[in-house]
Amino acid sequence: MSGELTKAIADLEENEALRLAREKLDSGEDPKSILEESRNGMEIIGNRFSDGTYFLPELIYSAEILKEITEIIKPALKEDAQAKTSGKCIIGTVAGDIHDIGKDIVVFMLDVNGFEVFDLGVDVPPQKFVDKIKETDAPIVGLSGFLTLAFDSMKETVEAIKAAGLRDKVKIMIGGGQIDEDIRKYAGADAYGQDAMKAVSLAKGWI
Amino acid sequence: MKSYTIDFQPLGQRGECREKESLLDCAHRLGVGISSICGGRGTCNTCRVKVISGTLSEPTDSELEALSAQELGDGWRLACQAIPSSDCQIIVPPESMSTSQRICVEGLEATVPPEPAVIAYHIRLTAPSLSDQQADTNRLLEALNEQYQLPCRHIDINVLRSLSPQIRDWNWECQAAVRDDEVIAVSPWPSQQLGLAVDLGTTTIAGYLVDLSSGQTLAVEGTMNPQIDYGEDIISRINYVVKRPNKRAVLQKLVVDKLNGLAANLCSEVGVDVEAIVEMVVVGNTAMHHLLLGLPVKQLALTPFVAAAGMAIDIKARELGIKIAPGAYVHLPPVVTGFVGSDHAAVLLASNTHQVEGLTVFLDIGTNTEISLVNGQGITTTSCASGPAFEGGHIKHGMRAARGAIERLRITGDVIDFQTIDEAPPLGICGSGVVDAVAQLYLSGIIDDGGRLIDKHPRVRMTGNQAEFLLVDQTKQDGHPEIVLTQKDIRELQLAKAAIRTGIQLLLETNGFTEEQLGQVVIAGSFGSYLDLSSAVTIGLLPPLPLNCFRQVGNAAGMGAKLALISLAKREEGQAATFRSRYIELATDPDFKKIFIETGHLGRYWIKNNRREMLENG
Repeated sequence: MSGELTKAIADLEENEALRLAREKLDSGEDPKSILEESRNGMEIIGNRFSDGTYFLPELIYSAEILKEITEIIKPALKEDAQAKTSGKCIIGTVAGDIHDIGKDIVVFMLDVNGFEVFDLGVDVPPQKFVDKIKETDAPIVGLSGFLTLAFDSMKETVEAIKAAGLRDKVKIMIGGGQIDEDIRKYAGADAYGQDAMKAVSLAKGWI
Repeated sequence: MKSYTIDFQPLGQRGECREKESLLDCAHRLGVGISSICGGRGTCNTCRVKVISGTLSEPTDSELEALSAQELGDGWRLACQAIPSSDCQIIVPPESMSTSQRICVEGLEATVPPEPAVIAYHIRLTAPSLSDQQADTNRLLEALNEQYQLPCRHIDINVLRSLSPQIRDWNWECQAAVRDDEVIAVSPWPSQQLGLAVDLGTTTIAGYLVDLSSGQTLAVEGTMNPQIDYGEDIISRINYVVKRPNKRAVLQKLVVDKLNGLAANLCSEVGVDVEAIVEMVVVGNTAMHHLLLGLPVKQLALTPFVAAAGMAIDIKARELGIKIAPGAYVHLPPVVTGFVGSDHAAVLLASNTHQVEGLTVFLDIGTNTEISLVNGQGITTTSCASGPAFEGGHIKHGMRAARGAIERLRITGDVIDFQTIDEAPPLGICGSGVVDAVAQLYLSGIIDDGGRLIDKHPRVRMTGNQAEFLLVDQTKQDGHPEIVLTQKDIRELQLAKAAIRTGIQLLLETNGFTEEQLGQVVIAGSFGSYLDLSSAVTIGLLPPLPLNCFRQVGNAAGMGAKLALISLAKREEGQAATFRSRYIELATDPDFKKIFIETGHLGRYWIKNNRREMLENG
């Protein structure tokens, strides 16, 4: 029954999830829909993380389960279906800031939701974002910053993208510590998010 | 320009609100203490006030997020967002007042032989005559040289200005206070020579009035740092100053005024004039140190977190606006880095670092937690962003350790026993209460070792998508709302304590040690003094050492400041330790994330090879 796999993943029932994935594959179900169902499970996990039900270890565990499922269905997937389909994103913690736990969670949630994510790491100078946009043509940029003073770096990064003539080609979202609408305006970003699931829904809305 | 009259109840303070000024800014200008953890950005939800009458700006997005429709309907607003457009009457509820917090001033009393920077000398001068027209100052310097073989070269300008009439009044006998080769004060013989030691914290200030000749503490006072209205944590306060450069002087003046008040109170307690204070020592975290001196702070909060000034500073008190003896100096011991201040160095000094036997960890727990590992002469220091949870921040019903805060909590079956500060009706829960609550929930099986609320305990319920545990039922009297601990609160505490435990572990690892080799853990600071050690071990905040390995030393930073005031040898010892200590940055350590995930778990465990090794609950 559809939804069982989603539920097994969402409840972190590893054996059950793997059994269901194999069973579905053996009964001839489209591997793409199995992948889709798995991603739905990941979305529930993301929401549970947002409301505190799940914590970091659960997030890591869910990633392992998803990886195993992907391994099972991989041989049956066509080349093109293996490719990330949702779109490209560039993510990084802005210059002056070295916090990466929140950023890593955003990268992870985008990744499991089918985005091809270019993670630039921490303390990323504006030019590095600009170069990566030119290199990958990614239409979405996520700037992370936990320190309040990182907001200046966000602003500088957005300005660097503008100066490079790329501002119209990308949507920019910001996130991190205590970000709100005023800071979004200050930084010149298109949107902000309080948690990783918001980053996913913003990114989906822009593709 | 339009202005409105705002009436703040129940304080009964009333004043004019300028056009486009927020309630919070207006309150702060009028001296009404409304707390504001985030510095007025509308994110922390601590400045909630209730509007009784009058019209204000429409609720902002931040307010719509922070307040329910019913709350908004009842007149609740965030003071930092709401801008009056008519005369208003406002109620500031107790939980939004930045009222005085319980302040820890006591610490282990250390005794050292007095050897202060300023020494008093009894001087007799020969009166001038037509055959001896030497200047009064030269007469004084010559007497110091002849009577004490003290070759002084300088006399403070204020001494010069007052010496001539005074010395005649005193019939050519006086007491000269000498610091290095400078006469900084003269007074009638005999007078008391006092010193003031100050621990300048982000939240609280502790002052100690000391007799410099005996080393004895005469009076002690704790007070709130008035800068708290401009951001409760260091980063918010730095941010406030960076965004409004013209306010740096305002923040500096606030703290200077407070220090003057502190000095005046302490002196009046022992019945002396503030001019009896001839030396002052101030320790503090690097941001407070910089804000007091008027140094730039922006670089403190950005990687690589560098201090503007790292050496010891001796500055005339009057240059900072501090009113003690007019020629006296303020001594500020060196800071370690942007995130480790002279307060942590003072903790190490007070704890007699060089006499520590075995491997010892020193912890100063706060929004930012400083940790040092001392092994023989070696000192390695780090700091970790433990966040505001231990100070009640980011906790739904959290509050600072003030009157009415739940500070202890025990769960027995369905019964919850708790103790509040001053035994007042419960208003919220402070850091030590949250640690107790999580430990008790874990021991009762209501949350698992991952921190998740699992039990169908009658007090566990869902609000929206979020599970929460009802700690205190609504009380009819005062209409105080119920107090809960939410699943997210538990997550906040897990993140905070994981940061600290990871810091301890990485310090040990870097130096080639394990937790089991630790001989002692010294916990300084206010939160650390009230922390229940067994709860702290139960939730895995601290390693499961025998409880007698832990020492709660109270305000050790204040004690260290006192030592540096009483004894130059101690001052130098502290300075040498500061320069000797090696600072390591945690966030870049490759093992950081692995250990952080492990140490997020509750329970008694050792960390070995980056994994938990669980022990029985005991």
